[in-house]
Amino acid sequence: MERTETTEVKTRATEEPAEVARWAEEFRRAANEDAELQAHGTYYSCSFLLDLEEHQVVVRVNRGQVEEITIDPGPLDERYQFAIRASADTWSKFATPEPPPMYHGIWAATFQRDMKLEGDILVLMQNLREVTRHLELLRETGVPVAGERS
Amino acid sequence: MTARISPVTGHYVNIDVQGDELRVFYLENGSGQPLLCQHTAGCHNHQWRYLLEDEEVTSRHRVIAYDLVRHGKSDPPLNREWRQEEYKLTTDYYTDFIVALADALELEDPIFMGCSFGGNVTLQIALRHPDRFAAAIAVEAADYSPGFYLDWWQHPHANAAQVCASGVWDLMAPQSPDRDRWATWFYYSQGSEAFKGDLYYYSVDHDLRGTLDQIDTSRCPLVMLTGEYDYLTPPEASRRTAEAIAGAEFIEMKGIGHFPMSENYPVFKGYLMQALDLVARRSSRAPAPQPEPEQPTVH
Repeated sequence: MERTETTEVKTRATEEPAEVARWAEEFRRAANEDAELQAHGTYYSCSFLLDLEEHQVVVRVNRGQVEEITIDPGPLDERYQFAIRASADTWSKFATPEPPPMYHGIWAATFQRDMKLEGDILVLMQNLREVTRHLELLRETGVPVAGERS
Repeated sequence: MTARISPVTGHYVNIDVQGDELRVFYLENGSGQPLLCQHTAGCHNHQWRYLLEDEEVTSRHRVIAYDLVRHGKSDPPLNREWRQEEYKLTTDYYTDFIVALADALELEDPIFMGCSFGGNVTLQIALRHPDRFAAAIAVEAADYSPGFYLDWWQHPHANAAQVCASGVWDLMAPQSPDRDRWATWFYYSQGSEAFKGDLYYYSVDHDLRGTLDQIDTSRCPLVMLTGEYDYLTPPEASRRTAEAIAGAEFIEMKGIGHFPMSENYPVFKGYLMQALDLVARRSSRAPAPQPEPEQPTVH
């Protein structure tokens, strides 16, 4: 599997609308320019899957920099250490500036809604401070899924 | 510029709990009916920092916020090889500690108020010691609160301070001010050694299912307050609990989470004043006449 050395958003262009690619670029930029992540991200290195129901996204972070975001990889294209899965509806509520109760974080949505934390949870715990902040950036960028937004 | 010196003072008191010699730290301010405050699991009394300086409350109450043994400035037991034991807080020990502290401070008709694992023990206090306390205010409490006795709080392969602090981050409401959410996060980064053992009480030993009807609110009026962003003890859990206790009141707090006094005091205060008013009206033991507030002294 080929690995790129520079920051990149990988999409399967024939299948993927440009809108999702633009979102991925925005999400990457938000993390790499975020003062909090950059202040504490020296050892923030891991890879994770965000399963948004309508799209799957693999995010690869190295020393606080998002180096690669892969949208809707093929079945055997990507490896990652843990996965955060939820319905499009849950993600769409999670990714609002003021999320409603029980959609306001990965612990809340996992305890009380349909979010699942899977894979090597130890890696998530080792990077919990940074992952928490990283995902809160979705409140600014939104997510490329519709959900019901009710 | 004139220095602003807080009227809040800190003290140590020595107490004995089940043979343990304990040196307990507490902060206090105000005069009148004592209001004894218990912090949340893995934390310390700075969660009550705004209440301790709220003149509307301290003009009527002697507010006392202590650090439970092994928390903040209250050291582990002085006369035990505590490092050779796994810390697991039990209901018996916890309630004995609270009564021993109230006795040592010679508190008359105190109101007891605790949050989260302090809220749960508030229910235990109302059940076990209804005549020692004039009233009870249980914040973020339920009859049973499973699910948080996790190995992650002390896993040697992860940064325990950050796991504890960021692990409770979602317990706060996104609307709460950054400054106070981050202060609360900071306190949680200091308490990881006690957090898991506290949660043994919170999620395992504390279980009042089937015994709530034995809480006598005619002897110890009880008000429960829970924030709508609390995913551990959601409002429906507290409501269910209150409905099973004759005479208990439940108030859902909007736009706030599991650490209300610490994450957003102005919002919490509105509900707290309702609770204090309710317990005052329901208490059969009227508080003593209010003395004039003392002038702040610096120790």
